[in-house]
Amino acid sequence: MPTRTRPSVAGLLAATLTAMALLLVPAAPAAAHNTLQAATPARDARLTAAPTMVTLRFMQKLDPAFTTIAVSDAAQRRIPTGEPAVKGTTGTVTIDEPLSNGTYTVAYRVVSTDGHPVQGSYRFTVADPTVTASPEVTAPVTSAAPATSAAPGSPSPASSTGATEGPGPLVLVGGGVLLVAVMVAGIVLLLRRRRSS
Amino acid sequence: MTGTSDARPVSRRGLLTGGALAAGGALAGAATVTAARPDTPGVRPAEAAPVAQVGSAVEPFHGPRQAGVATEPQAHAAFVAFTLRSGTDRAALGRMLRLLSDDAARLTQGRPALADTEPELGLLPARLTVTFGFGPGLYRAAGRDDRRPDSVVDLPPFRVDRLQSRWSGGDLLLQICADDPLTVVHAQRVLVKDSRPFATVRWVQQGFRRAAGAEPGRTQRNLFGQLDGTANPKPGVPLDTAVWVPDGPDWLRESTTLVVRRISMNLETWDLLGRADREVAVGRRVGTGAPLTGTGEHDEPDFAALGPDGLTVIPDFSHLTRAHVTDDRLRILRRPYNYDGVPTADGTADSGLVFASYQADIARQFLPIQRRLAERDLLNEWTTPIGSAVFAIPPGCPPGGWIGRQLLG
Amino acid sequence: MPSTRRLPHRAALLTAAILALAAAGCGSSADPSPGTNAPSTTASASASAAAGVLGIRDPWVKAADTGMTAAFGTLVNDGDADVTLTAASTEVSPMELHEMAMEDGKMVMRAKPGGIVIKARSAHALEPGGDHLMLMNLAQPVKAGDEVAFTLTFADGRTQTFTAVAKPFTGAQESYAPGHGQPMPGTSATPGMSMSPAA
Repeated sequence: MPTRTRPSVAGLLAATLTAMALLLVPAAPAAAHNTLQAATPARDARLTAAPTMVTLRFMQKLDPAFTTIAVSDAAQRRIPTGEPAVKGTTGTVTIDEPLSNGTYTVAYRVVSTDGHPVQGSYRFTVADPTVTASPEVTAPVTSAAPATSAAPGSPSPASSTGATEGPGPLVLVGGGVLLVAVMVAGIVLLLRRRRSS
Repeated sequence: MTGTSDARPVSRRGLLTGGALAAGGALAGAATVTAARPDTPGVRPAEAAPVAQVGSAVEPFHGPRQAGVATEPQAHAAFVAFTLRSGTDRAALGRMLRLLSDDAARLTQGRPALADTEPELGLLPARLTVTFGFGPGLYRAAGRDDRRPDSVVDLPPFRVDRLQSRWSGGDLLLQICADDPLTVVHAQRVLVKDSRPFATVRWVQQGFRRAAGAEPGRTQRNLFGQLDGTANPKPGVPLDTAVWVPDGPDWLRESTTLVVRRISMNLETWDLLGRADREVAVGRRVGTGAPLTGTGEHDEPDFAALGPDGLTVIPDFSHLTRAHVTDDRLRILRRPYNYDGVPTADGTADSGLVFASYQADIARQFLPIQRRLAERDLLNEWTTPIGSAVFAIPPGCPPGGWIGRQLLG
Repeated sequence: MPSTRRLPHRAALLTAAILALAAAGCGSSADPSPGTNAPSTTASASASAAAGVLGIRDPWVKAADTGMTAAFGTLVNDGDADVTLTAASTEVSPMELHEMAMEDGKMVMRAKPGGIVIKARSAHALEPGGDHLMLMNLAQPVKAGDEVAFTLTFADGRTQTFTAVAKPFTGAQESYAPGHGQPMPGTSATPGMSMSPAA
């Protein structure tokens, strides 16, 4: 009798995997978009010394003509930086003025190899203990809101692949895998119970 | 501008004997008007020309400037480029241009051409214009290269170009536009027939816009769904400044230049782009044509405006940013037409734009914009120039004259 | 900037009238003014008639390099008496007045006996497939766009000159009555006639 139930478990598994594969196919073009792989300073980093440059590494090669990296402070004032220096998948800007203690936003706008514009942002904090009279930079954290455009009532021009917005394709894939694992585990449990009863 | 009706008086008896055909046509037209006007909301009959008037509407042919440039764009166009035969010299060019000018003068006024083999097709001008353009080769053939406007030379290569010879170059161009496609085709047939002893057809690019009266006064949309031509100079002084050569010898005064570029638009990869990404690439909203910093199509874009994350709201690589000019002397008058060929068996579209821009000086106005676009316009990802040609648009002619007389005479 | 005009209804009717006239080959008066001293209303390619007996509207001649060709147009008689055209001449070729007529059940081209009568207050179309002015043997090519001068002679001895523009034309391939020799050059269906644009 076990010989009869086992193939159906395998069959269910195969069917589930096939379904999962099919579900993932449409996501393939989206997954081909450029995404931020690593950043210095890192996302949400708390630095004891002010950085003098920002370096972002992406999944795909960057085109210098279509690469923008901007740094702004908590008051949304743009910090002067150099033009992005692009080398392969990496873009770097130098910060032209010393950063005082506070929270900063790094925003980027790049283009995937297929032309899709990609933009996103993250924050880091400078908290240099040697700076005694640190100016109070506790402005309300406005950047918690998704980066909507200036025009009211219109959809954001920012790509949905932006780092601060929505689950990225990898998250979706991870979620899918998790879901399937749970389903498989459930089915296996169910079948075992049936057999034991 | 001599009115046709004034020049050809007609007797009552002539009207009575010959009018039956026309009267029948007018009745049929009236019936069409009634049928084509449903009482549906959104239809504003006051704004749209009655259907019967679309066919009989006339644009002048004679005048100091050629028609078909500042003329409100008609719904249909054929750009016909010719290569001169090797023996076509100045005298032959004069004979050809007299013939073609005569054809244009008649057909644009709703009269059949001389020796028209299908005269009935010449009766509805539907705002027909025939605009003559002279390529660099025509000046050479005429032995008048010294009279060629300096900027009328082949464009320099751009890194985005994938030019094909079958859509490029040309010694003579006829831009034929009308609100009725049959009128365009008949005019093209007549003009091509009369050009045969002097020239061969090099390429023809046919294009279309919205039907006459479908969207009066609106900027046209291209096949990406974008409004195309928002930044055109406004009629009056701005347009005159941008388009017409104000002074110089009589073969230059009241002339302009035309750049025709065939732009293939990749609808397949464009389909992969979400609406928001499309707007980032263009710098404008798809729906309204408003810049991303504004709400109306003609709002001035604010390129310095920053979003909450510190990025400019309008990306510096957007088409809007790269193409933007504010000085009328640097603007170009875009008068493009869409083209839409036959899709392949798997449904891949053959679509694009017959880009046509008029400007007083190609080097001063068109080239800087084109260089900026070629260097850094995200829209290049989905568009490919596959044809390119430049022409001088010589001054117009008075009744009894012909286009090109100042150059060749 | 040029403004759009609506084609006057009158003009549409007039055009229809001209067509009807052309189709019928004759008709009632179509032009109260003889069109004699009026400046050409068209581009110079279509030459106007000089002062004379008749109004000559839209004259043209079929371009050809050698051999035969023909001239066409509409003759308008605004007078109260019939006018008889007896001869036509030009420097480039000897000429005859021709008609198309049925012979042995076939439409053929032949010299028109007695000339061409243009009735009082009417117009007479000279057109491919109908009456026409025949150029019998070109001494020089008539090239597309050329303007060719013609002289008409009438029964009462008066004459009138006009110029006609040469058009590339492949239509109206006619049969010829016996004795008229070979067909007109350029009537082969190819657009090859008068292909040499230069001298």
